[in-house]
Amino acid sequence: MKTLIIDDERLARKELSGLLENHKEIEIVGEAANAEEAMEQIMEHQPGLIFLDVQMPGKTGFELLEELDRVPQVIFTTAYDEFALKAFDVNALDYLLKPIQADRLAESLRKVDFTEDFGSADHKLGKEDQVFVKDGDKCWFVKLDKVRYFESDGNYIKVFFDNVRPMIHKSLNALDERLDERTFFRASRKHIINLGWVEKIDTWFNGGLLVELKGGDKIEVSRRQAARFKERMSL
Amino acid sequence: MAFNILLTHGFRYFIIKFKWLNFRMVKLIPLVFVSVFTLSLLSSIFLALIILVRNASLSFETLMQPIVIQTTESVFLFLFWSLAYFIYLYFERYNTSLKYEATIRETELKNLKSQLNPHFIFNALNSIRALVEENPKKSKEAITQLSHILRNSLNSDRKKLVPFAEELRTVKDYLGLESIRYEERLSTKFDIAEGSERFQVPPLMLQTLVENGIKHGIANLKKGGIVAISTFLKEGQLVVQVRNTGQLASGEKLEKGFGLANTQKRLEMIYGSEAKFKIKNEDLKTVLTEINLPK
Repeated sequence: MKTLIIDDERLARKELSGLLENHKEIEIVGEAANAEEAMEQIMEHQPGLIFLDVQMPGKTGFELLEELDRVPQVIFTTAYDEFALKAFDVNALDYLLKPIQADRLAESLRKVDFTEDFGSADHKLGKEDQVFVKDGDKCWFVKLDKVRYFESDGNYIKVFFDNVRPMIHKSLNALDERLDERTFFRASRKHIINLGWVEKIDTWFNGGLLVELKGGDKIEVSRRQAARFKERMSL
Repeated sequence: MAFNILLTHGFRYFIIKFKWLNFRMVKLIPLVFVSVFTLSLLSSIFLALIILVRNASLSFETLMQPIVIQTTESVFLFLFWSLAYFIYLYFERYNTSLKYEATIRETELKNLKSQLNPHFIFNALNSIRALVEENPKKSKEAITQLSHILRNSLNSDRKKLVPFAEELRTVKDYLGLESIRYEERLSTKFDIAEGSERFQVPPLMLQTLVENGIKHGIANLKKGGIVAISTFLKEGQLVVQVRNTGQLASGEKLEKGFGLANTQKRLEMIYGSEAKFKIKNEDLKTVLTEINLPK
């Protein structure tokens, strides 16, 4: 699997890549010393797995993840950091404490899904892809099939999943372009819904539709989109 | 006489049991007078009984005379005893409260003491592990430096002050290790005035300041920067300056870094108002931290 190591210390990167030599399933495609370099490398190689140190000069590891449209599988590396550890309450794949123990690394790698094909840069975001969402002190890795719908709110988008609705800084139009239309549907100027969550469809005013999602959320489909929606759902 | 001793013992028991020491003076003084009078009366009645037992045929007048004398005597006696006893109690209380305060201060000072940042230790160990293959000689040196710092950190609990030269060596070892980690991103400079070594400094204090400079300065800069340490003597005081590349965000002064607030308090506790501590942006890319220490 294509793997990228991101750490601001050369020796730390060297140490990790040395440890990874014993794991034939890992193909190190590059190393990055900061978030900007990492961004370039990710665009270029589209790695399926990254090792990421949270504390870096400039942008932090979290900020890097936020900027990515979709995030690969992530294993965090850190020396000792209460703040970072607290953030790991989220569902990160794993985190490793430096100096990294060889058997602990092997254990982490067992959690990696090697079957997952990360695809190319123009790959559309589907059910199996995950995004990283940070809101204040909290952050989440969210598999897109868990997202019920997106709602635009000024320059932000509210992401509705589980019982939270964190915001991401993005326009709904930009997001719409990246999403796989087999899974997501632009219901109106304000909403994008996950078709997998649709439970009930009712007619609504002015030729629009009212969609009820599993869990009880009700989203309006505008008249313009209603015809396309019916077409999609009948397929 | 023996009976009087018994009485004062009983009295003492009362004082302790009912915590008379916590009473206010307005209440305490009348209480003591009443007690003293009661005690004297008890003492006299006891005397009268003894006399009557020995000589039952005594007339009332002959009996009263020694009793009146005895009562007056014992009033003075018990008053004197009470005075002495209360003075003793007050002194003891004052002493224990002083002792208590001293213990509190001691603990506080201990808590304020700088501790080695675990983040630093583990990062250093990680760099050294990678360095073992690349440069065995340098990695040996790094292990020596790290062990020196660890030893100092363990010892610093026991000492209030250490010679400046010792602290400087710790800082040099510390920077040596951080240089391995940050490589070309960290350069260091020392400019130590003669006579600095005569001063005693709180252990790991300078190290904390340097560490702060790296953590908030160098570590956040992609290209890194310089940490410069200089000292000079001014009006009999030692002035230690740490300059690091970086910038304090506005409003980010002492309150921000836990280490800095600690340093400030620690200096106050050790030196009172004689020591000074400040941190500011010296220019657009340098932060200056300065401490003035008395001899």
